[in-house]
Amino acid sequence: MDKKIINVQNMLVDNQVLICFSGRFSQGIIEELGEAIKKHMENEDTPKNDIFNVFSIFIEQTQNIKNYSAAKTNSSIYEVVNNSSIVCIGKTDGGYFIWSGNKIGNSDIEPLRAKLDLVSGLTKDELKKLYREQIKKNIEPDSLGAGIGLIDIARKATLPVEYSFDTIDDCVSFYQIKVTV
Amino acid sequence: MERLVIEQTKATPQIDFDADLGLLSIKGQSYPENAFKFYEPVLKWLDQFFQVTEVEKLITVEFGMPYINTSSSKCIMMLLEKLEEADKAGKKVVVNWYYDEENDCELECAEEFKEFVDLTFNIISFKS
Repeated sequence: MDKKIINVQNMLVDNQVLICFSGRFSQGIIEELGEAIKKHMENEDTPKNDIFNVFSIFIEQTQNIKNYSAAKTNSSIYEVVNNSSIVCIGKTDGGYFIWSGNKIGNSDIEPLRAKLDLVSGLTKDELKKLYREQIKKNIEPDSLGAGIGLIDIARKATLPVEYSFDTIDDCVSFYQIKVTV
Repeated sequence: MERLVIEQTKATPQIDFDADLGLLSIKGQSYPENAFKFYEPVLKWLDQFFQVTEVEKLITVEFGMPYINTSSSKCIMMLLEKLEEADKAGKKVVVNWYYDEENDCELECAEEFKEFVDLTFNIISFKS
């Protein structure tokens, strides 16, 4: 065999990744991975607050990706988007990180960037205020759900939320977000 | 009125609403694929319950939810608002919210829900 899976593994280790899943997200996969992360941290005697925060950010990030795919069901980029998801959970000296990415339509970049710029520029108190406003709002039937999830993620993050968009072609770009707790 | 019972799964809480006893209980974590779809029958049951039950009925609502994702939180807010309305209309609603004493995040979450509504809202710790 020419290709060595140990090279893939080494790359994960180099990036301090503990658990990684790449491929199409389903609710079942999200649940299994989420429970696995919890178990892993419990075995490491991680404080309950940290487990809670890592788990919540993991759920919000992966469900955002899944909801985005679902919203693109009738779009020409659906297949490309749906198969492009990845999530990694890792640990550095600074804490745990949840790092995920997926392809998104180029026209969806600016609204998402605006939301990310907004939440990452706010203090914890301002985020709390925004969260309270948003959770009381009536639900829009066509909502992708990403709005309040990102506020919640930013509230729980201990370091500034990192994100970027890299152009792939005329239709899609790769969006990534990394959150440290 | 018929009792509403929904079995717990990994991502959805156990629902046990007993109209005769006036005891409504929600236990377990909540992060379903579609929170609105999951909570819709729960909210509908509540509407009906408040319509058929006597005005001064004592209603105890027990929450034991170790984790609630943001879309489920919206649904819990809607549920609390319904309880608040019923309480204002004369029913005696008491909320008991249980949290793990080792988890400050759970306590914070409970306190936030408490701040949102004007209800008798007890936050009770337990040792896991």
